[in-house]
Amino acid sequence: MAREQVFYEDVHPGDALPTLTVTVDERQLFFFSAATYNGHRIHYDKDWARTVEGYDNVIVQGPLQAALLARAITDWIGGRGRLVEYAVQNRAIAFAGEELSFTCVVTGKRLADNTGLVDLDIAGRRDDTLLMPGAATVALPLRGDRS
Amino acid sequence: MSEQSLIDAESASRVGTVAATATGEVDRRDWQRWAAAVGDHNPLWFDPEYARAQGYRDVICPPLYLQYAVLGVTALDGLRPDGSSGAASGGLAFPRAPRRMAGGESTAFFGPAYHRDEIEMVRTIESIVEKQGRSGRFVLVTWRTVYRNQRRELVAEATTSMIARP
Repeated sequence: MAREQVFYEDVHPGDALPTLTVTVDERQLFFFSAATYNGHRIHYDKDWARTVEGYDNVIVQGPLQAALLARAITDWIGGRGRLVEYAVQNRAIAFAGEELSFTCVVTGKRLADNTGLVDLDIAGRRDDTLLMPGAATVALPLRGDRS
Repeated sequence: MSEQSLIDAESASRVGTVAATATGEVDRRDWQRWAAAVGDHNPLWFDPEYARAQGYRDVICPPLYLQYAVLGVTALDGLRPDGSSGAASGGLAFPRAPRRMAGGESTAFFGPAYHRDEIEMVRTIESIVEKQGRSGRFVLVTWRTVYRNQRRELVAEATTSMIARP
């Protein structure tokens, strides 16, 4: 996969990263539960989700929302970028079949020990509903730094 | 603790203690299955040649996968009725606040993890406090979790919280 590298110098506060849009279906819920050894019935047992826990449908794992939001970041920072800090809060649940969007906006940048650090405001949403707010810091390579 | 506190004395006494420890081997196929389930086809996780060209010695573990490398094994008979294992919280339970939900998580990543790295996780109960929210009282539990590799290098450090309501 050919990927373009983003550099510290090219990034400015207010820049928006490409939005990742995903509709999680039941197959994906299943595979994510399997990959994370998560047996919680609310992710695959509709009857349990409805009658015992009071949800309308099976729900998207919070950690899957977090992983998708992180993917929006790691897709953008390129092979020489690094995720340094990542913080999210679980604010609301999402159901299978709903379109979710994951957005990130640059809020600041600074040099620390010759490393270019970029701060991001990040969020998972369903339409106007904020599901998962958060913040992240990434390290980006500097132009001319070929290390 | 006053009589009205949602936090029982037994739980309160565990602040500062280790809630859970676990070790596990980072496995390339496991993290690739996780990445595929996320739809995350970043070549750093899959393509050794690409990863080497970026300065790594091999493909690397996606940062958010690290927490799963140390998961243990739970017998079917040991699961809670809802199917979950309950291992991560160190068995903390609040009889006066039984409804639990994940709060948030904040993680600092210090270096990459590679296939067959041995990760040791140590999770400490950092605080248990009662708070007043818009929808009433709740208990906020905060854990601090440290991940080190076989060379005792710090790989990641996480702060996780859980909310328990009456």
